[in-house]
Order: sequence, then structure tokens, then C-alpha cells
Amino acid sequence: TTARQQAHRQILCAQSRHILGHQRFNSVSTQGKADESKEEGINLTDSCVKRLMEITEKGEYLRIHVEGGGCSGFQYKFSVDSNRSEDDRIFEKGGVGVIVDQESLDFVKGATLDFSQELIRSAFLVLKNPQADHGCSCGSSFSVKL
Amino acid sequence: VSKRRILPTRAALILTPSAVNKIRILLQNKPEYIGLKVGVRTRGCNGLTYTLEYTKDKEKSDEEVLQDGVRVFIEKKAQLTLLGTEMDFVESKLSSEFVFNNPNIKGTCGCGESFNI
Repeated sequence: TTARQQAHRQILCAQSRHILGHQRFNSVSTQGKADESKEEGINLTDSCVKRLMEITEKGEYLRIHVEGGGCSGFQYKFSVDSNRSEDDRIFEKGGVGVIVDQESLDFVKGATLDFSQELIRSAFLVLKNPQADHGCSCGSSFSVKL
Repeated sequence: VSKRRILPTRAALILTPSAVNKIRILLQNKPEYIGLKVGVRTRGCNGLTYTLEYTKDKEKSDEEVLQDGVRVFIEKKAQLTLLGTEMDFVESKLSSEFVFNNPNIKGTCGCGESFNI
């Protein structure tokens, strides 16, 4: 199964590269205004929603914070938070929510948040981040498109 | 001639209680598997990364670690890099993962997934 997972991952990688390349091409050709609304938020996968239902109580959210660090320049930090400050944006799905501060949002808008479950590791993972140029293999670190 | 003692052979991999516990839970309802297999793969920004999978049989070259009733097999390729490593299972709300505390490691990736020796 590992070989299959690996192959699957490679396909996903290739796809996301393709998507990233495509989006970049789009934003150049259409000045990036056309589908901005779609790319502003954070999308949550079903497994992410399911996991958040398990770990968060009412009034608690998963906070995504982007900070400098990691092998590619920036990294994602996750925490459970019940305090919302003024510059936080909230993205809800299925009764659970993710909060991102405005500054971090610039680096992750349009991305998809997943809860990946493997034998060796289960963790939240940012997938398909249109703001990221290329990431670390583990997905916790990335560099931004300039 | 000298008073050299024969050292007990050290286990190639030491499992922490939480790792033993987790492996036991993982294997509980899976009688077709005899244990978990640890391998290394070239991947990640720092060269190597560990892999973990269920295994149905022991290959000739695999090193077997039996501790507290759970079996972990180490692939030949991983034996050298794993020697003396502690395998731990760390669980929190946000993530749960097997962690390898390897004394041979020179550098790791920021996330701790890849390493070099």
C-alpha cells in the first residue's frame, strides 16, 4: 500500500503543480480579479471537519498562523483557540470553524486544510496553497510566490 | 584473558511505553499482520524520512525487535540509520505521530520529518 500511496502522492503533487502553474498563468492574463472571491477563504476537507468536531468544543476554533521558519522560509502553526481578536477572519463549515489573522491570511488564502491520517502520523495539513511557491515535503513549511 | 564482559546485544530500536501501547492498539483487530515495519526513504528536504507500515511476514534481512509483546521489523536499509534510536508515540489534539529520536542524526528538517546522518 505504501508504494501506492507514494504514487498517489506523486500524482497529487503533479496535479497541484499543474494547478498552481495554471493559476499563476491566469492571474497574469486576467489581472487576477476574476475569481478572487473564490480564492479568499480557507477550504476545509471532510476529514478536517470531522477531526475538528472531535477536538473542538463550542466556541473553540482551529487557528492557523503563518510564521517565519522551516526549511522553505515560512511555516504553518496550528492551535486550538477560543479567543477571537478584531483582525481575525473565520471560515466555517459543518459547524466547525477555522480562524486566521489577517496577516497570516495573505499567505494562505485559497488554500485547503486537510486532516491527513497515516500510520506514522496524523496531522492537519495545508494542501493546495495558491500563495505558496513550493513546499517542504512534509507540507509544514513553504516559500511564497513573489 | 582480560575481564572483558560480553555485552548484551542492544536492541536496534527501543520503544517507549506509549509507542508500545499504540502499536498494540493498532494491531489489536488485525490478526493478519504480525507487526509494523520501519523503513527509510529518500525524501524530504534533508535527505531521508521514515516510513511505517503493517507487515504480514518477516523478510530474511529484517531485524526483529520484540518488546513487551509487540513486534517491530526494521528494513535492512533502515538498520544502519536506526541503530540505538528510540521510537516514541506523541499524541495531542492537533496531531498524533510516531517520533524517532535518533542519536545519529546530524540535522533535521523544521518539521522533523526528514533528516540526514
